[in-house]
Amino acid sequence: MVNLTIDNTQVTVAKDATIFDAAKSVGIKIPILCHDKKLHPFGGCRMCLVEVEQMKGRLIPACTTPVTEGMIVRTTTDEIVKARKLVLELLLLKHPLDCPVCDAAGDCDLQNLTYEYKVNCNQFSDEKFNHAIDYENPLIERDMNRCIHCGKCARICDEIVSYGAYTFINRGIEAKMGTPFDGPLSCEFCGSCISVCPVGALISRPFKFKARWWALNKVKSVCSYCGTGCQLTLGVKDNKVLTTVYDENQGFHNGQLCTRGRFAYQFVNSDNRLTTPLIKKNGKFVEAGWDEALKLVSEKLGAAKGSVGALTTAHLTNEELFLFEKLFRGTLGSDNIDHSAGYAHAALTEGAQKAFGTVTSPSEIADIQKTNLLLVIKTDAYETHPVLGFEINLGVKRQGVSLRIVSDKKGKISRLPGAKTSVHKPGTEIAFVNALANVIIAENLAVAGVAGLDQLKAALADYTPEKVAAVTGVAAEEIVALAKEYAAAEKALIMLPIGLGYPGHDAALAQAVANLAILTGRIGKEGSGLLIMGEKNNSQGAADLGIYPKNGGLKGAAIIDGAANGQVKALFIAGENPVVSYPNRKKVEAALEKAEFVVVSDLFLTETAQFADVVLPAVSFAEKNGTFTSVGRRVQQINKAVKPAGLAKSDFEILNDLNAALSGKRYGNVAEVFGEIAATVPAYQGLTLSGLGDEGAVLPVAPAAKLNAVAAPAVPAAAGKLALVTGSALYHSGTLSRFGEGPMYVCGDAYAELSEADAKALKIEEGDAITVKSDVGSVSLKAKVGKRLPAGVVFAPYHFADASINTVTDGAAVTLVTVGK
Amino acid sequence: MIMPLIKGLQITLSHLFKKPVTLQYPDERPQIAPGFRGLHALKVSHENAKCVACYLCPTVCPAKCITVEAGEDANHNKFAAKYEIDMLRCIFCGYCVEACPVDALKMTEEFELANYKRADFTFTKDRLLEKK
Ligand code: SF4
Ligand code: SF4
Ligand code: SF4
Ligand code: SF4
Ligand code: SF4
Repeated sequence: MVNLTIDNTQVTVAKDATIFDAAKSVGIKIPILCHDKKLHPFGGCRMCLVEVEQMKGRLIPACTTPVTEGMIVRTTTDEIVKARKLVLELLLLKHPLDCPVCDAAGDCDLQNLTYEYKVNCNQFSDEKFNHAIDYENPLIERDMNRCIHCGKCARICDEIVSYGAYTFINRGIEAKMGTPFDGPLSCEFCGSCISVCPVGALISRPFKFKARWWALNKVKSVCSYCGTGCQLTLGVKDNKVLTTVYDENQGFHNGQLCTRGRFAYQFVNSDNRLTTPLIKKNGKFVEAGWDEALKLVSEKLGAAKGSVGALTTAHLTNEELFLFEKLFRGTLGSDNIDHSAGYAHAALTEGAQKAFGTVTSPSEIADIQKTNLLLVIKTDAYETHPVLGFEINLGVKRQGVSLRIVSDKKGKISRLPGAKTSVHKPGTEIAFVNALANVIIAENLAVAGVAGLDQLKAALADYTPEKVAAVTGVAAEEIVALAKEYAAAEKALIMLPIGLGYPGHDAALAQAVANLAILTGRIGKEGSGLLIMGEKNNSQGAADLGIYPKNGGLKGAAIIDGAANGQVKALFIAGENPVVSYPNRKKVEAALEKAEFVVVSDLFLTETAQFADVVLPAVSFAEKNGTFTSVGRRVQQINKAVKPAGLAKSDFEILNDLNAALSGKRYGNVAEVFGEIAATVPAYQGLTLSGLGDEGAVLPVAPAAKLNAVAAPAVPAAAGKLALVTGSALYHSGTLSRFGEGPMYVCGDAYAELSEADAKALKIEEGDAITVKSDVGSVSLKAKVGKRLPAGVVFAPYHFADASINTVTDGAAVTLVTVGK
Repeated sequence: MIMPLIKGLQITLSHLFKKPVTLQYPDERPQIAPGFRGLHALKVSHENAKCVACYLCPTVCPAKCITVEAGEDANHNKFAAKYEIDMLRCIFCGYCVEACPVDALKMTEEFELANYKRADFTFTKDRLLEKK
């Protein structure tokens, strides 16, 4: 620690702090334009000049000068104020004074400082810039005339997002923040650059001219897309969510968001929202009142009782899922309840359950940056959970974490410094992981005295590197080297994304990777272990609350089958869209067609809702209160920001009403139900809704680690066929982001990605319309050709409703397909 | 006792011979003082309203009676797609005129604002545009 004096205040800070940090720690504000707490110091704007007693004679930039013992700093003297005024005058020399039409006004650092330092005239005069403004981009409007060259956009895009879309081009007065070859911006559209731009040079196009910053009501919430659980601030005006507001102090991610969190909020205000219950009469939907609709639903559910089937999405809040469970398992006595098709949560509910005795993985998000070696299963971890991807970027680039990836294709994170990707044949991940365990045991790298070691050793005897090399296509030496590296690392963390797009990431794979962590004694240690990344914002909550069959009830896909064969008499679907996201679209559609009675509660008349007998309008995360549990077990609160659309009710109200109508208990409010959860779900014990605060709470976990040998499934192969693997696209999450507008501007059509070699052989070029055909069906998609895929592999994301990839898949990890024009 | 009475009558009498201050409105029209704050007008320049929809007037308005909605024109410029003042709530303080950074708003000498229906007191952009 270092002691210094700033403006007569004694400050003690860590020795790597800068004067700026030290001042901030005691609440002394030093003006600055080129700094964000997430970025490395830059020292570009010269606004943070201060006086240091020991370095008299010149002014010192506070943001780049480290503190030294006994330093005496003054942050405001006449000379400093004069210097800062001069900096502002020079900036305003080129900066257009178009605050009245600039969306940054009110939240503009330059405007605020100009006002604070009373810069009302300029001793210099010059022409303004005359750069062309990029109006073409659907998400980010770039007006480089307003740019003050702080470099923050380029740095955040490079340091945190690791994309590198911008750099300064030209020199001197010609210098400009530009894109490669000054072309159009085509990037990840995470909007991080907009969030840090101190002026209005980068603005959000969907929000352009929608409202002034000061007129927005800022409501704190949590993103409702993926399991990362990023905190958001919604900008609300006139009962509409107009934008997301950047707050660098929010969450573990310091306000950093991905494109979904930042730009995909428009579904809340969509004109296509369902606003009234609908009942199908003579094949047509007719608007109905809540009383009529709920009466019909409760009659049918009451009649079906134990043969009710219930599917939900993990987008619902914990409180809603609690009521869901109470209604279907409790009041109606049916165990046919599930979510995420039954397989997309199995890694938690079966895999982690067997390996650790709990339905959660033992590590936290914070472990990513604390570890020494990260073993990521599939490069898709970046696409499924982009902000965790940023954590990986930061871990590798700032903390020197070694990154090892086991994947069926390369991806963005493969390009991080020092990253090594072992690209295996699709569907062979379990064999690969088993081989790693085999090597660890064979080389005596396992910690002594692990229970069940001998059984595991025997069970994995067949997974020698040589044999597995033949199956996976990865050289035996590479497998051995990776196993040794993993075992040798002081701390090592495994990351396993799961989701509807990844049927192969099942209970067996979770147990296989858990074995690695258990063998090397990584469980329960900081910066080590296993992080299973649930796909949806509340996947972890759904696992915790037992939204899966527990007593031999039907699983997700079987519930759909049951609806077709009469085993399920009434089917309740809350927010899930099986027609698009469950395996085998034709089968699902036929089943829903045949089903006796189907109720769907959703925000939109989705492809699934079309088949319903009753459609109940539900509300989005912005229209209700409740909690979500994210990856790494953090329970966080969402807050109601706008009134429900039309007559829509939250699933909480719907389920509560139905439960009461079927003579179950009627619960009061969200807080009461949260209290019930805290009382009945062990991990949530002792929590209260008000006690969660802004930060939320990380649930405790007490893993009882146990080795379980799992066998690798056989991988289908056939000459002349390509292996289709599904997954998530970066701009989308589940089937909801399609309604979010933002993602649809940059990734609006279903596509299939082919390797260069296959594309060449099949004479397919980027953008061509291609047909992908399997035993199940065929679908026409847009071709994308990428360097990242090995030959013989096709990748397709599953989010799209038109030409959905589940037309050709049937729940297998790998589907053999033929591709043609 | 009698003196104040006489004084009062004196004043009354003197007024019989003075010019009356009342006006025979509407036959006679008042002379409006400079700086009078009457009905607002949106100034026009180059055929268009000068207003750039900066929202400063609705922000400053103490009566919260101005509604602005910005739009983007073909040249990507900001303009007021909607500009409305609810004259029933306006207190004619003139803060809006003072706040306008582009001098797009003024207050005219128009003071005859009586009307029959509530809705007629909502002055839309069309009605507010300066008449030349
Ligand atoms: S949106 Fe994200 S990826 Fe694109 S330039 Fe900005 S920071 Fe980089
Ligand atoms: S565009 Fe914004 S963030 Fe980027 S250099 Fe210019 S002012 Fe800074
Ligand atoms: S989609 Fe996931 S990563 Fe992106 S902002 Fe939302 S929670 Fe964060
Ligand atoms: S005169 Fe005053 S009250 Fe009337 S619109 Fe202007 S600011 Fe509002
Ligand atoms: S202050 Fe002037 S420019 Fe701004 S909205 Fe009002 S009239 Fe228009």
